[in-house]
Amino acid sequence: VNDKAYGGSSAPEAPVHENPEWEKARQALASISKSQNSTKTSPTNRTTSQAGQYQTAVTDSSAMQQQQQQQQYYPWYPQNQQQYPGYAYPYYNYYPITTFVDVECLCYGVPGAYPPPTTPTGQPPAMPMMEEQSSSYSSEPQPPPPAVPQPPPQSPTSSDQPPPPPPPPIPPPPNAQYPPPPSQNPYNPNGALPYSPTDSNPMRGYNHGQPRPSYQGYQPPGYPPPPQQGPGQGPYGGAGRGDGNKKPNNANMNKGGQQLWNRMKQAPGAGGVKFNIQKRPYVMANQNFPPGEQPPGLATSTAATAATSAATTSTAGAAQAGPQDWPQAMKEYVQRCFAACETEEDKDRTEKVLKDILQSRLQDGSAFTIDWTREPLPDVKPRQSRWEAVPQRSQENASGRGGATRGRGGARLGNYRNVFSQRSPSSSSSRSSSRSPSPHSRHRDRSRHRRSDSGSQSDSSISSDLRPISRRQQRGGRGRGEERDRGRGGERGRGRGGKANRGRRNMDDPGSGIGKKRKGGNAGLDFHDPNREAKKQSRAARFHTKRTEPLVLNINAFDLPNGTQEGLSWEDCPIVGTCQDITKNYLRLTCAPDPSTVRPVPVLKKSLTAVKAHWKTNQDYQYACEQMKSIRQDLTVQGVRTDFTVEVYETHARIALEKGDHEEFNQCQTQLKALYKDCPSSNVGEFTAYRLLYYIFTKNSGDLTTELVYLTPELREDECVSHALALRAAWALGNFHRFFQLYKRAPRMAAYLIDKFVERERKLALGAIFKTFRPSVPVEYVQSSLAFPCLDTCLAFLTGLGVAFTPSDPSKIDCKASSACLTTS
Amino acid sequence: ETHLKIHYILPREEQVLEAIDTRDGVFCAELLSFKHPHVANPRLQLSSPEDKCQQVLEPPYDEMVAAHLRCTYAVANHDFVEAALPVMFAVTLDLRVFANNAEQQLQKKGKGKVGDMLEKAAEQLMSCFRVCASDNRAGIDDSKKWGMLFLINQLFKIYFKINKLHLCKPLIRAIDSSNLKDDYSMAQRVTYKYYVGRKAMFDSNFKLAEEYLSFSFQHSHRSCQRNKRLILIYLLPVKMLLGHMPTTQLLKKYDLMQFTDVTKAVSEGNLLLLNEALAKHETFFIRCGIFLILEKLKIITYRNLFKKVYLLLKTHQLPLDAFLVALKMMQVEEVDIDEVQCILANLIYMGHIKGYISHQHQKLVVSKQNPFPPLSSVS
Repeated sequence: VNDKAYGGSSAPEAPVHENPEWEKARQALASISKSQNSTKTSPTNRTTSQAGQYQTAVTDSSAMQQQQQQQQYYPWYPQNQQQYPGYAYPYYNYYPITTFVDVECLCYGVPGAYPPPTTPTGQPPAMPMMEEQSSSYSSEPQPPPPAVPQPPPQSPTSSDQPPPPPPPPIPPPPNAQYPPPPSQNPYNPNGALPYSPTDSNPMRGYNHGQPRPSYQGYQPPGYPPPPQQGPGQGPYGGAGRGDGNKKPNNANMNKGGQQLWNRMKQAPGAGGVKFNIQKRPYVMANQNFPPGEQPPGLATSTAATAATSAATTSTAGAAQAGPQDWPQAMKEYVQRCFAACETEEDKDRTEKVLKDILQSRLQDGSAFTIDWTREPLPDVKPRQSRWEAVPQRSQENASGRGGATRGRGGARLGNYRNVFSQRSPSSSSSRSSSRSPSPHSRHRDRSRHRRSDSGSQSDSSISSDLRPISRRQQRGGRGRGEERDRGRGGERGRGRGGKANRGRRNMDDPGSGIGKKRKGGNAGLDFHDPNREAKKQSRAARFHTKRTEPLVLNINAFDLPNGTQEGLSWEDCPIVGTCQDITKNYLRLTCAPDPSTVRPVPVLKKSLTAVKAHWKTNQDYQYACEQMKSIRQDLTVQGVRTDFTVEVYETHARIALEKGDHEEFNQCQTQLKALYKDCPSSNVGEFTAYRLLYYIFTKNSGDLTTELVYLTPELREDECVSHALALRAAWALGNFHRFFQLYKRAPRMAAYLIDKFVERERKLALGAIFKTFRPSVPVEYVQSSLAFPCLDTCLAFLTGLGVAFTPSDPSKIDCKASSACLTTS
Repeated sequence: ETHLKIHYILPREEQVLEAIDTRDGVFCAELLSFKHPHVANPRLQLSSPEDKCQQVLEPPYDEMVAAHLRCTYAVANHDFVEAALPVMFAVTLDLRVFANNAEQQLQKKGKGKVGDMLEKAAEQLMSCFRVCASDNRAGIDDSKKWGMLFLINQLFKIYFKINKLHLCKPLIRAIDSSNLKDDYSMAQRVTYKYYVGRKAMFDSNFKLAEEYLSFSFQHSHRSCQRNKRLILIYLLPVKMLLGHMPTTQLLKKYDLMQFTDVTKAVSEGNLLLLNEALAKHETFFIRCGIFLILEKLKIITYRNLFKKVYLLLKTHQLPLDAFLVALKMMQVEEVDIDEVQCILANLIYMGHIKGYISHQHQKLVVSKQNPFPPLSSVS
């Protein structure tokens, strides 16, 4: 559904950015609130998810459920996984099953330990969480209409959702939306097809300077889409791309599935049962949540669940509403606390402390008056943890700027992600990959330099997740967007727009997040508005507090990315190709190169010969250019900087020059300039001369001067260079006679370059001639002075300008009459 | 009391010094940071700490520290704009200097793209500039716009270094449209006009270049001999193109004797000497970036040479052969009658000679009145 919506929303970047943070905050809060309510929330959650599970999987876990809470999780887990691949979203549909919830509640008797003071108690106590979630979901679909052209899939779901009863799987419709390979769809428009590797046409397009299309086109091949990414990936990947579509499901999934997993994983403090299956969930958690942040929240819930069991359902219900109405500052505070945690132990401790603090604050109402921004973090090694957070942030920053921070994959990733994020499906794709439970993805994540899009993507998503928190911590300014976003969102009931854009984050805790938002909308905007002021203040306050943090970190942090960036150069991680194909189509690299598609130097030498031969016989520039580019790419990738590299670039430069392909020519020139430092070639003079001529063409006297500085006396002696210098001198003085004499004598391929500005110079010269000669000037003089190959071309040129000839003698130009034609033309 | 102050400052600065010596950048940054508690020390809050800093520290650190101390003073007096600008100045200046050094280092290592570091620095400066320029508050006294010119000057320095003169245009426009442009400090204005003048020179707008560079030259502080010399390097060619030849005295005073032969050759119309002079000091001229400008003096030299021919022949109808002879005397290579026509055509086209060529009769016919108008009236 949201596919389109997503895309639409992606266009306005601002909201996108802001939302994520907000989302984060909400997640953290949600988890906390849950923890606060202790069992209540989490059980509910579980219930919901279980419900889904049960229904779909037709598992008989009800009995199991009755057992211990933790254990319940356990059994599910596998189920969940299964579900993921197959039915991402039936799960979701089943969500709102009342009966189930009730059962759960009763069974567990898990109390919402902390009655939030402000909460309206109107909601059904039994399923507070449910309520929230359902509402949130329903709200979600609503927003899409504006931006979303294809609401059908989602809307059904959404509409269905609110009414809890229908247990029967409604999956089909939505699923349609999620065709397993859906990933393609969003992309395709850009030309997965048009640019299929085997088709040479795309290349053509590329050559002509439409990097965009081609680039996009490349991606499909470059990044073997989801399928590669392990089992869970299929559906997810698809969903991810189709982001919008997936959203509802994912949200649910997230809610149920992820949280569950996380909980399971985190359970440490709870002392609950630990699961063998942990590995997987762990991966998930890791990928999905920034290490410091999300897990803690979830952990909280677990712990809370385990620890507290004294609250009644009704209170739980009340508590339920709590998080939504919490003061924003407090939410942020909570978030900060968790972000500050380093270890599981920390999280657990923080959790406990927080629980106490928040509960008491909420109960006595001071939560709304207290200045949370100044509230010290709980005494769980807060200092350290803050410090920890910083480097992360800096990395993030760096990546933003340089596009490269973490290892190679990361860097690539940066670009990749950007490219994507301009299109709707992008972020979702990353999300999906990270979300996928497949163990592979984790693996990839770890070994980033391998060519793995999924890994890198998830990686990026992690980092991006991190960003909000740490940034927020450091900088007050960042929060603004979020606030705005929230305000707006609340009014609309929203759910897509910015939030959708940042897909991931939504997903991370869609239920709670949305629910809250929804709540805001329902309860009226008044909730947000008053807060806004407070928030502003808190932000300002934060800004001041932040000051006290040592600057040192920033500086240190800055070194980091640089270091990594340096490590990024091709020389540092050499690859030796194994591909034996002599010809290869050029594809712009979008990820780390795969040795099996890269040709080693001996093969490349053959390739060069072949291309040259082909060029000589066929003069097919498209083909030659593409082949040359792919040779160049293979050389670059392997870090080969030898005489052969020089030869390749020289060859391509010449071919491009002959065909007037500026872009390629300049690229080669740039490379050659750098290459000549290491591998002087006998053609240095030739290409230096071309550079000089090119500067004349662009009338770039600055670069021309710089170039002159570096001319060694020996180089000046070079035939080409001295010619270029003489030409330049003549040109500078407007000495057209000499200029064109030199033009006629241009060595090697210099004439091709001079051709570019010969007409311009001819016109200038004609201007001087027409102004100087009286009463007339013979055409022959013009022809010889301006180096026209023959009289006819000269005449053609002149008549083209509208030059007037002497009536009595057509071989002479009437200068006075003609001087006007140059000024007009 | 002064004694006391120094007493208290010195240890601090020595700390800084030590930090610099030991290349302990982190510690140094801390000492210069406002997050360090020393800021609260009233003894460090000086209104004019420059002298003391200069005594203890080497440039550019003295400036940095001075600005910092000045800032502590200003902050203590709750004057934030005044506080912020010097700091920004110092920091941005350092940024540029560091970028420069980083660039050089990278070049030595053969790594990185040329100008990459500088471009990054320029980006940062640009973002500062935007902040300053977008301060639209009514009060002029504490407007951030006072920071604009300094930043622009820093940006100019970078842009000139990396040959991106076209990027200067919007900056110049910003200042032109600013109502503060005449109220900035003279030092900043001198720098600004110097760069704008240079840019005008490269754009062949010699009149404007002369105006700006002259302003710079006349208003630089008399102690800044080096700056004045730098200005002259560009002002001289411009002046010569406009027909004003420098005196030997001036050239001597500023150690610019490389120009003496050039000056002489141009005024005498001695093409040969000019070529020799240019060749002799080519490296110097090229490094200064004025070689291409000086080259244009050839046109003036042609004019002066041909004027001599005209004066010798004392007629208004000058055979082209006469000019050919003159050029050959100046040992111009491979010159022929067509080239003579070409050179004459250019001179006429540019207005250095009033007259026309009769191709049929192979003669230059010059105006009876003022055939060689004074240079200053031409360009």
